[in-house]
Amino acid sequence: MFTEVLLALVVGGVIYFLVQRSKRHQLKSEDGWWGEGTPMDGEEDLSIRPYTVRTDDEELEDLYRRIDQTRSFPSLEDSQFTYGFNSHYLQKVVTYWRHDFDWRRQVEKLNKFPHYKTNIEGIDVHYVHVRPKNVPEGVTAVPLLMVHGWPGSFYEFYRMIPLLTEPSNPDDIVFEVVCPSIPGYGFSEAPHKKGFDSVCAARVFHKLMKRLGFQQFYAHGGDWGWIVTTNMAQLEPKIIKGLHLNFAPPSKPGLPVVLSIMLGRSFPKLFGFNEHDIQRIYPVVQNLVVESVKESGYMHIQATKPDTVGRGLNDSPVGLAAYILEKFSTWTDHDFRNLDDGGLTRKFSLDDLLTNVMIYWTSGCIISSMRFYKENFSKGLDQPHSKMPVHVPTGFACFPNELMHTPKLWVQQKYRELKTFTPMARGGHFAAMEEPELMAQDIQNFTKMQEKRK
Amino acid sequence: MNHWSPFRHNCGRGQNCHCILWNNEPAAESTMFTEVLLALVVGGVIYFLVQKSKRHQLKSEDGWWGEGTPPDREEDVSIRPYTVRTDKEELEDLYRRIDQTRSFPSLEDSQFTYGFNSQYLQNVVSYWRHDFDWRRQVEKLNKYPHYKTNIEGIDVHYVHVRPKNLPEGVTAVPLLMVHGWPGSFYEFYRMIPLLTQPSNPDDIVFEVVCPSIPGYCFSEAPHKKGFDSVCAARVFHKLMKRLGFQQFYAHGGDWGWIITTNMAQLEPKIIKGLHLNFAPPSKPGLPMVLSIMLGRHFPKMFGFNEHDIQRIYPVVQNLVVESVKESGYMHIQATKPDTVGRGLNDSPVGLAAYILEKFSTWTDHDFRNLDDGGLTRKFSLDDLLTNVMIYWTSGCIISSMRFYKENFSKGLDQPHSKMPVHVPTGFACFPNELMHTPKLWVQQKYCKLKTFTPMARGGHFAAMEEPELMAQDIQNFTKMQEKRMK
Repeated sequence: MFTEVLLALVVGGVIYFLVQRSKRHQLKSEDGWWGEGTPMDGEEDLSIRPYTVRTDDEELEDLYRRIDQTRSFPSLEDSQFTYGFNSHYLQKVVTYWRHDFDWRRQVEKLNKFPHYKTNIEGIDVHYVHVRPKNVPEGVTAVPLLMVHGWPGSFYEFYRMIPLLTEPSNPDDIVFEVVCPSIPGYGFSEAPHKKGFDSVCAARVFHKLMKRLGFQQFYAHGGDWGWIVTTNMAQLEPKIIKGLHLNFAPPSKPGLPVVLSIMLGRSFPKLFGFNEHDIQRIYPVVQNLVVESVKESGYMHIQATKPDTVGRGLNDSPVGLAAYILEKFSTWTDHDFRNLDDGGLTRKFSLDDLLTNVMIYWTSGCIISSMRFYKENFSKGLDQPHSKMPVHVPTGFACFPNELMHTPKLWVQQKYRELKTFTPMARGGHFAAMEEPELMAQDIQNFTKMQEKRK
Repeated sequence: MNHWSPFRHNCGRGQNCHCILWNNEPAAESTMFTEVLLALVVGGVIYFLVQKSKRHQLKSEDGWWGEGTPPDREEDVSIRPYTVRTDKEELEDLYRRIDQTRSFPSLEDSQFTYGFNSQYLQNVVSYWRHDFDWRRQVEKLNKYPHYKTNIEGIDVHYVHVRPKNLPEGVTAVPLLMVHGWPGSFYEFYRMIPLLTQPSNPDDIVFEVVCPSIPGYCFSEAPHKKGFDSVCAARVFHKLMKRLGFQQFYAHGGDWGWIITTNMAQLEPKIIKGLHLNFAPPSKPGLPMVLSIMLGRHFPKMFGFNEHDIQRIYPVVQNLVVESVKESGYMHIQATKPDTVGRGLNDSPVGLAAYILEKFSTWTDHDFRNLDDGGLTRKFSLDDLLTNVMIYWTSGCIISSMRFYKENFSKGLDQPHSKMPVHVPTGFACFPNELMHTPKLWVQQKYCKLKTFTPMARGGHFAAMEEPELMAQDIQNFTKMQEKRMK
């Protein structure tokens, strides 16, 4: 009798779980229109227009004038980067920017890959589209969409692109790469209406890929790119062949995550925790709470008053550089806060860092880039998409110094078809720019595995 | 009907307590019950007395904030007159920067919900560029005498107004008024004549000192880490001593609230009275939590009036969501002041947007839904821009923001936040203050709350917005205190 009851309970429990998991809610999304005023009558403009990044004397003179008139303020003695970007080191960066950085040469470098613009839902969307030159016979290039985050840009992927479109190893997959700019970022037009969140960006990028003729493709993202590509997988699971991420903080800590935090230090194997997981998670309050509070001030103000905090940054290139480059320091390794130079050039060149800053400066997009935080957080952290799991094959590259560390168990809570989870040798939040070879290799491994499974 | 208020006010002075009480009727039944009750009460009173007589006094070590190491020579205690100045170069530089601002249109139909509205900012900037007369405002600033004096290695700026027409036999009552962020000594300018030259002959004549917090406005910024509110309190005590005051009253809102509170905690005998318009609880104790949980159903038990109920409930919306919506600035300034401030020190338009957004939202948070943020409903553009110009010309925005990090980086559990205040206190409760504090909450920390005045109107920048109302409340409070001394 007892056996029967137990069996009934177990069967009941299993049925319950199966029913829960088979409720594959698909994310839905209404159409949108983001241009100025009301949409014009007439057919939608579907044209794809080549775009060239340009600069001129006027732009450079204006930049130099503003740099020359910056009003510096000395940092506190012995404060390194603990109060934000150190004033003394900022002076060095600015001197390089003013006298050595060659923006014309960097613009040529930007233009070595083809850029385009196309109008979607009323705004011009910018993207880089790199078709591989030497595709072996009988082979089709695998399309790959790569989405950046804040305060990054399409430029973060520049070193990776050749590794993906022209791999040296003949066994590697040859990719066709599309790197768009999120509307409101870089050379993409900013939405003129309220409400443009990650689901809208996902829908816009689906339309882009469709317009470019792709029926199916892979998607890669970190930072905002993580949410945007995740939403794309939730909107159209059949179109996203595979999802590759390097950032996936849990939005809803479910029971497994909570239990693992409580018991993981004593029973690491039970939760699949390795040494690095333990090191990054414990002590819990320090690592998960204090560190987050210390580093999320930007998120808080951008999610509430983007127009206020961004205005001064659109007038002051030095202020903009400090604001953006502070992240390239701290999010690469938070111990860099204790260095006089913020460790900024340990993993990046000033040329690359300033090129990214110049994309924000010349496009004047800092305010609209910040608004994305408000659009995504203002309805609270309980959005429909954050509660829905992802059923598309997923690969996760776990970089050791990522802002928010996620052990495999946590990633699996949302990404139900986690095919690869690779602890990476080194790298932080801007991994694509910091470790392009490692990232490209993991994308290769993941995609090869998926492509073989046909 | 409540006969017995469970929150009997007890400041340690027992029956001699002159604090304003509420709802206090003893119950009396049979003798045995009375005895037990009496025993409990006496036991409770003794317990409370013992608790509260542990009057921890706030201690503070000396500090030195100048560049490098302190020189060997004697401390410079000279007091130097200071004149606010401007020149053509300063104005040309300002106009050049304003002319080259790169605006960015706000989203359609967003008013002030994403921060300072771009369209209205353009209006403000046009006025600033073409109509605002900074030279005239500088003359206005100089109508009161300014001074600087070096304390703990840095130059401290202050305005010192001695009353002109003192009646015979009357000594002016000294009053220290401390500003906050993003305000300045200028917030008190309309109040000063009401205090130093009151029209009513029964009013007290004050002698007023309005310093600038180190790192703000014309006070030098500390060069070393660690300058928090207790340090500012200690510096201001030294200032008042140097000016010859043995005892004085202190008034403050925003940071001025914490600094004057710390001053009362450091030297309770020197602060004759503490007048505040802002006092958010740092540690919500049991009475406060109970009042939040039960206050809507039993308002009288907690002394809640209608306005209290309106400002507190619904709790999550009013106390949590509103705070999160409006505390982004505090979060980034408490963690990365040097980063967020740098661009503001190059861009006067950016600085104006950042500062004036507060003068809009903290005056009435419904102003967020107005196209112009309601900015000129309670303030003139001249006054608003004068305050902005004080930040701009002194280049103090970064150091002003560092004060947040210095005060919050050790966490919210500082020694002074756990200590009560035993100095006679008066509280002016303005209806639109950022954080609403009913009397019960203020009493948790300010054990000698003598006056608690619900004010007719006004928000966070009450001194600048309603100078007459504020001055009147300071008068009432001080008169009450002065009568009691004699």
